[in-house]
Amino acid sequence: MSSVSFHHVEKSFGATKVIHGISFDIADGEFMVLVGPSGCGKSTLLRMLAGLEDITSGTIAIDGRVVNDVDSKDRDIAMVFQSYALYPHMSVRENMGFRLRLRRADRREIDTRVARAAQILKLEPYLDRFPRELSGGQRQRVAMGRAIVRDPKVFLFDEPLSNLDAKLRVQMRSEIKALHQRLKTTTVYVTHDQIEAMTMADRIVVMHDGRVEQIGRPLDLYDRPNNLFVAQFIGSPAMNVVSGTVRRHNGSAWLEADGVRWPMGEVPGAEGQPVVFGVRPEHLDLARTDGDHVAGDVIVVEPTGAETELLVQVGASQVTLVTSGRPRVRPGERIALAVEPGMGHVFDRESGQRLVD
Amino acid sequence: MMRGAVDEAKLLLIGIPVAIWTLLPIYHMFLFSISSKEEAFSGKAWPDHPTLRNFGVVFREQHYFLNHFWQQFANSLLIAVAVGVLTLAVAATAAFAISRLRTRGGRVVLNCALFTYFIPAAFLAVPMYKAMGAYSLLNSKWSLILAMVTIASPYAIWVLKQASDRLPYELDEAARIDGASPLQLFRLVYLPLMAPSLVAVGTYALLLAWNEYLYAFLLLSRDQDITLPVALGHFLSADDSPWELLMTAGLVYALPPAAIYYAFKRYMVAGLTTGAVKS
Ligand SMILES: Nc1ncnc2c1ncn2[C@@H]1O[C@H](COP(=O)(O)OP(=O)(O)O)[C@@H](O)[C@H]1O
Ligand SMILES: [Mg+2]
Repeated sequence: MSSVSFHHVEKSFGATKVIHGISFDIADGEFMVLVGPSGCGKSTLLRMLAGLEDITSGTIAIDGRVVNDVDSKDRDIAMVFQSYALYPHMSVRENMGFRLRLRRADRREIDTRVARAAQILKLEPYLDRFPRELSGGQRQRVAMGRAIVRDPKVFLFDEPLSNLDAKLRVQMRSEIKALHQRLKTTTVYVTHDQIEAMTMADRIVVMHDGRVEQIGRPLDLYDRPNNLFVAQFIGSPAMNVVSGTVRRHNGSAWLEADGVRWPMGEVPGAEGQPVVFGVRPEHLDLARTDGDHVAGDVIVVEPTGAETELLVQVGASQVTLVTSGRPRVRPGERIALAVEPGMGHVFDRESGQRLVD
Repeated sequence: MMRGAVDEAKLLLIGIPVAIWTLLPIYHMFLFSISSKEEAFSGKAWPDHPTLRNFGVVFREQHYFLNHFWQQFANSLLIAVAVGVLTLAVAATAAFAISRLRTRGGRVVLNCALFTYFIPAAFLAVPMYKAMGAYSLLNSKWSLILAMVTIASPYAIWVLKQASDRLPYELDEAARIDGASPLQLFRLVYLPLMAPSLVAVGTYALLLAWNEYLYAFLLLSRDQDITLPVALGHFLSADDSPWELLMTAGLVYALPPAAIYYAFKRYMVAGLTTGAVKS
């Protein structure tokens, strides 16, 4: 049980700076997900926490103790790698007990702890197999088993599900989550998949180009993204964005974009200000033509059963609309759209920052 | 069907001459070893009276040239095994340090290792002789062992370094997090995973030493110290060489490498080509 804190952490490889001063804290027992596009520095940050990379400047502390100069093995962390990094020449049992064996724990203790971990992860039937005799999902479990046998202060995961097929990924996602709820060990989990981040995290750190874009609870990021990057990164299908200019007249406000008038309702932004207007697909509704609306032409209709996704051409932009049920519209048809009141997001076009309301 | 047959025919067309080319001398040697002295040069494809007498003579050391046969056989064996083991120790630790610990200067060592092969081993024979003399090692088995380890190591380091590079680095990182010291990493993770390559390289060094003539000839001289190839060479110093005994002893000398080859064939191929271990 431990907290972790990053304080102005920077990292350079040679002359290239890849982490630009990152600070945040992870509470004891928290499941923190680092998410961002590939190459943004997530793994590097995690590896610095693991002691696999030097910290160029700043400090990382575990449980209040600065660990910059502490060896990996003395940080009391366990890491699950994307490739699992199981020792190919050791059985599942030996893989899981390796750390304890190195610490010269006695045989009985190793056996009981391995057995307990195997039971939690349902690995008992496989203890005497070798990694090459296991399926991807089972290897993944062994990698986690190796981590939990040690009962570390912090679990580190680096894209642990990327090598699994889609179905198994969903299953392992809930297993990891359940495991965390059971053990309550502080966890730092790296992924580029925002759905994994949303579904698993207590809090999310959204990273981009070696910087933190926003930190918060999943739904807070979803509902109030601080900037355009987070707005478009979190959520699937992605948020619709339209650039234009704020217009205000007689107490009503709208966005003017390529001759299209988007009613925005109560939103910030001064008359004439260049902005980007964002709205999530589920906050666009099919509307009646007699109210405030935007007209568009349906390009694609994708029914998924419970919901229907429409791709609609509005002026020069294409927007996505998700609606529950099965509306009777066809490609080529002209429809009316409305933004649910209060559900629009407005960002400054220059800085990409959210305009505060 | 047709294509397969044609391919097979082509293969045989190449394969048969090659097989004859390599097997003929061996067959010749075998013929000598089962022929009596009188029949040895008869030129027949099979002797009229095949005999195993020659083997008896060799095994019982019943000829002037064969006085120390078993001693020399043991010398060869001891030296070859020692060279194999020592070369492995040198090369495995060097490859581990360069490839896995990323020791500084590793590239330089590798380039030097490659460079040594621009100098033919024969050029170094005399300097090596002088060096062994300076350390008073002449006529000691150590002189030949050390010389052969010196000759075998650069290639062995090179091959093991290449094979090491193919082990996933994440295994080392996982072991480090698990608390393994570099030595534990070497012993518990690196060596087991490198086993196929180690067998291949160890066998290479062992056979190199087993087959060596020039250095053995230079560095060892007393009859009870020399190795088999040098002893076989002595047969030719007489005007009336007992060819049938030379060939018999030669056949015995050729057996251990063949046995080793068959025992480790699987590893040799795997070790020298792939060497990789999937994680
Ligand atoms: N050992 C290294 N040497 C040089 N550059 C590196 C090294 N490791 C990572 N980088 C660079 O650092 C950046 C961040 O990499 P990484 O942390 O792996 O990203 P992510 O895990 O978010 O995909 C990338 O631009 C990558 O090229
Ligand atoms: Mg990564």
